[in-house]
Amino acid sequence: MFFDTRPKVSVQVLQTGETYLCATSESLLQGMLRLGRRGIPAGCVNGGCGVCKVQILEGEVRSLGPVSRAHVSAEEEAGGCTLACRVAPVTPVQLAVAGKFEKPFQKGFAKAADRVSTQ
Amino acid sequence: MSGVMRIGHASLRVMDMAAAVQHYEKVLGLRKTMEDKHGNVYLKCWDEWDKYSLILTPSDRAGLNHVAYKVEKDADLDDLQKKVEAWGVKTTMLPEGALPSTGRMLQFNLPSGHEMRLYAMKEYVGTDVGSVNPDPWPDGIRGAGAHWLDHLLLMCEMDPAKGINTVADNTRFMTEALDFFLTEQVMVGPEGNIQAATWMARTTTPHDIAFVGGPRSGLHHIAFYLDSWHDVLKAADIMAKNKVRIDVAPTRHGITRGETIYFFDPSGNRNETFAGLGYLAQRDRPVTTWSEDRLGSGIFYHTGDLVPSFTEVYT
Repeated sequence: MFFDTRPKVSVQVLQTGETYLCATSESLLQGMLRLGRRGIPAGCVNGGCGVCKVQILEGEVRSLGPVSRAHVSAEEEAGGCTLACRVAPVTPVQLAVAGKFEKPFQKGFAKAADRVSTQ
Repeated sequence: MSGVMRIGHASLRVMDMAAAVQHYEKVLGLRKTMEDKHGNVYLKCWDEWDKYSLILTPSDRAGLNHVAYKVEKDADLDDLQKKVEAWGVKTTMLPEGALPSTGRMLQFNLPSGHEMRLYAMKEYVGTDVGSVNPDPWPDGIRGAGAHWLDHLLLMCEMDPAKGINTVADNTRFMTEALDFFLTEQVMVGPEGNIQAATWMARTTTPHDIAFVGGPRSGLHHIAFYLDSWHDVLKAADIMAKNKVRIDVAPTRHGITRGETIYFFDPSGNRNETFAGLGYLAQRDRPVTTWSEDRLGSGIFYHTGDLVPSFTEVYT
């Protein structure tokens, strides 16, 4: 582990119970990716694709930039929903993963095709 | 041959215009050529001769507004309007000036729902090296120094269980109405008879457009052309320098044989810089088919592994 003196707070992912330390100067998602950890799905890391959608359950975060309204409505955002790539922690945070990967390639096709072939 | 010549421009939604312009100018090397009264910014690559190939539109979300292809002659627009309508797709002829510096545009939606436009005229401004005794490249190239906007890949709604396959629908439409030809395809399912992805051309390059099936329609990426594998490496250096989010570091595709990098613009729209024209695409060249079990190699030839963010994330 390289020495990293930045102030950090703990971030807990509800579904996996996993906790990692995130610098208050980086996004919740960057903090996780930097440690090579998993739990929150990572996509564009720029607020556009919506796969890292999370609900902040406890703690305080600050905005780092706009989140796509195609994925987080203003009402959702007011209720503590956001994209993990677009907020940095101010205090220790507990969050729940709200987004999920959709499956264009891979199993989706095979499963769908199996259903067709057995009908 | 009259009809569609090549991709003309893509119109993208961005959430932070200043960051977007900085990205496309400094990282990719495009140059802003114009801004309209709505705040839309128009840019071009150094090797392109028409006024713009990229429109950035201020928005609260990312994604594609429309993609446009240039046809050779103005009369082609009337001819293609008939063919598109006859195929069963409604069209609108937008008057000259609907986009600045651009002639009338034939507007319609692909079966996948994506908006496509065709036009014959766009203001000529010339390449940065000119056309009389030109140098091979201009001074002052920035960033990756992309030559031109080359193609885009559209994610197309697909649910075989419900009988929905807009990849196949788009492919038929592009073939029958716009006279594109198929270069490569991915066939899936137990019988290998479900067309899940296609690559199509009008030029002699392996693809001028590509379609891949997904749960909803959207934009997978827009791609810019580079000259060589070394330029691809340098482009990745420039991305790292500028802290651009790289999705897939330099590698090779089995499909199209392209040498590639995928990365995201500051709003999360995926970009590609790629080199290698792969092969000479011709109408009588046999179509390359990739099977479901070898799809990983088709996409990332070296590892053969599908990267979840690459196959499952788009705007």
